[in-house]
Amino acid sequence: MTAVPGARRRVGSPVAQPALYGALALAALFAGWWLATAIPGVVSQRVLPSPLDVVARFFFLAVEPFSGTTLEGHAIASLTRWLIGVLVALGLGIPIGVLLAWLPPCRAAITPIFELLRYIPPFAWVPIAVLWFGATTTTQALIVFIAAFPACVINTQLGVSQVEPILLRAAKTLGAGSWTTLRRVVLPVAAPSLFTGVRIAFGNGWMALVGAELVVGKQGLGFLISQGQINDSVATIFVGMIAIGALGAAIDVLLQRAQRVILPWKTASVRPLE
Amino acid sequence: MSAPRTVAHPSPPQSRLVRSRAGESTLSFWRREQGPFAWLATAVSFTAACIALWWFVTRPGGAVSPLFLPPPMDVADAFMRLLARPYLGSTLGQHIASSLSVVIGGWLAAGLAGLPLGIAMGWWRKARWIAFPIFQLLRPIPPLAWIPLAILWLGIGDSARIFVVFIAAIVPWVMNSMQAVYSIDGLLVRAAMTLGANDRQILTRVVCRTALPTLVAGARIALGNAWTTLVAAELLAATSGLGYIALNASRTLETGILLVAMAIIGILGACFAIGMQLLTRLVAPWAST
Repeated sequence: MTAVPGARRRVGSPVAQPALYGALALAALFAGWWLATAIPGVVSQRVLPSPLDVVARFFFLAVEPFSGTTLEGHAIASLTRWLIGVLVALGLGIPIGVLLAWLPPCRAAITPIFELLRYIPPFAWVPIAVLWFGATTTTQALIVFIAAFPACVINTQLGVSQVEPILLRAAKTLGAGSWTTLRRVVLPVAAPSLFTGVRIAFGNGWMALVGAELVVGKQGLGFLISQGQINDSVATIFVGMIAIGALGAAIDVLLQRAQRVILPWKTASVRPLE
Repeated sequence: MSAPRTVAHPSPPQSRLVRSRAGESTLSFWRREQGPFAWLATAVSFTAACIALWWFVTRPGGAVSPLFLPPPMDVADAFMRLLARPYLGSTLGQHIASSLSVVIGGWLAAGLAGLPLGIAMGWWRKARWIAFPIFQLLRPIPPLAWIPLAILWLGIGDSARIFVVFIAAIVPWVMNSMQAVYSIDGLLVRAAMTLGANDRQILTRVVCRTALPTLVAGARIALGNAWTTLVAAELLAATSGLGYIALNASRTLETGILLVAMAIIGILGACFAIGMQLLTRLVAPWAST
């Protein structure tokens, strides 16, 4: 583009501009953080550690055991409990969701109790779970289960109930029984909704696990940050929070990739953020 | 000789599925939609059966000890006791008021900060480019993970609770408001421009109105987040409130009071959800849900 009087020259291609602004904003944030801790007197070291302290703490925790085991050990302990809880929630939630959508008498019977129990936040079950099972993995897996179960059931129920009736009638015309219709028509058609439910359940389960580990347990990322609080080490808390956030984001990204592989016909319905 | 029997078609197999008088459904009983009376009857009888099972299992000499699951009468007694006498320094009403004030206060504060920010991020590109990466970094961190930090910075008490509730609520407010404004049909905006509206009029009269259902949905999610986080914060860092009651009841093994606290938490959560649905219908009656 040659010079036109009054025209501004574009800086970079259109794709790079948002990334540029974003990178500058993050850099400014980190610079502000570092400055706040570098200038003595502005913020005490106890309240906000400098970014370098946090990085150093991360490497320290990766090799030295803290409150039982290294960072990796805590992360694996958390992931194990989370996996147990969400798999049980999937295994129970999807069949129950299908049942609720497929058989109206069951729906009439179960929905009131389900709705009553659904509004109790998963974390409110922690005291009674500790009473029942003590401070063991079962307690935390139970909290993860309680967090993940409603999302599975509701989304599965929604997906199955939104299968077009004409498809069901077509299957019946071709002679399919109830079971065959479920297996070969309903489940594939409802699969995108099911998968959305799975994603939400996985995310909810992870958040609930962190909370449960704050209260009970001798290992895990939630335990790590509560120990950081007890030992007055904000850097440990930061490392723990970043690890929790990073793992949660990684789980979601993995699920999105899996969705694209398993359900390739489901296209994005929202305008991608530019 | 017997009369010749002409059998034009083989008689159809007797099947429950195909017994139809005029107007009756051909589906089996289990697949048929129920009328409202049958629905209510099923619901009530099943719930009553569950309560009967509960009573049966926890009766003296039953399978479950009262420590693990108190009988229904004990729970009712605990509720009466909580209503009658103060527990841990405040009456039940004061505890509920304490919890409610923190959650509503934190939610409204997050809305006041988050709603304009979200709308700005949805409307102006530069604002989005700057602020969105920061929120993308903050979003994966569960609100509960902020609690130890809040305890360290603010100590145990009201400020820690409000801080955590604020953080829990602001992310949905901002992200949903941004998405609401961002996904408005460009056609509407261009139509308004054609009719001569300037930027401010488009923003107030087209964008905000069209985005209203999604904005209220964002508010609803924020309130749900805030309530869940409040319960957690009260279990860890509070001196009054429903979570605090639950925590102490579990420590002193008063399981009846614990169950009552859980039930009240659940009922309040349900009230919030229903309240937000009514608000949606009030503010944006044209929204489909």
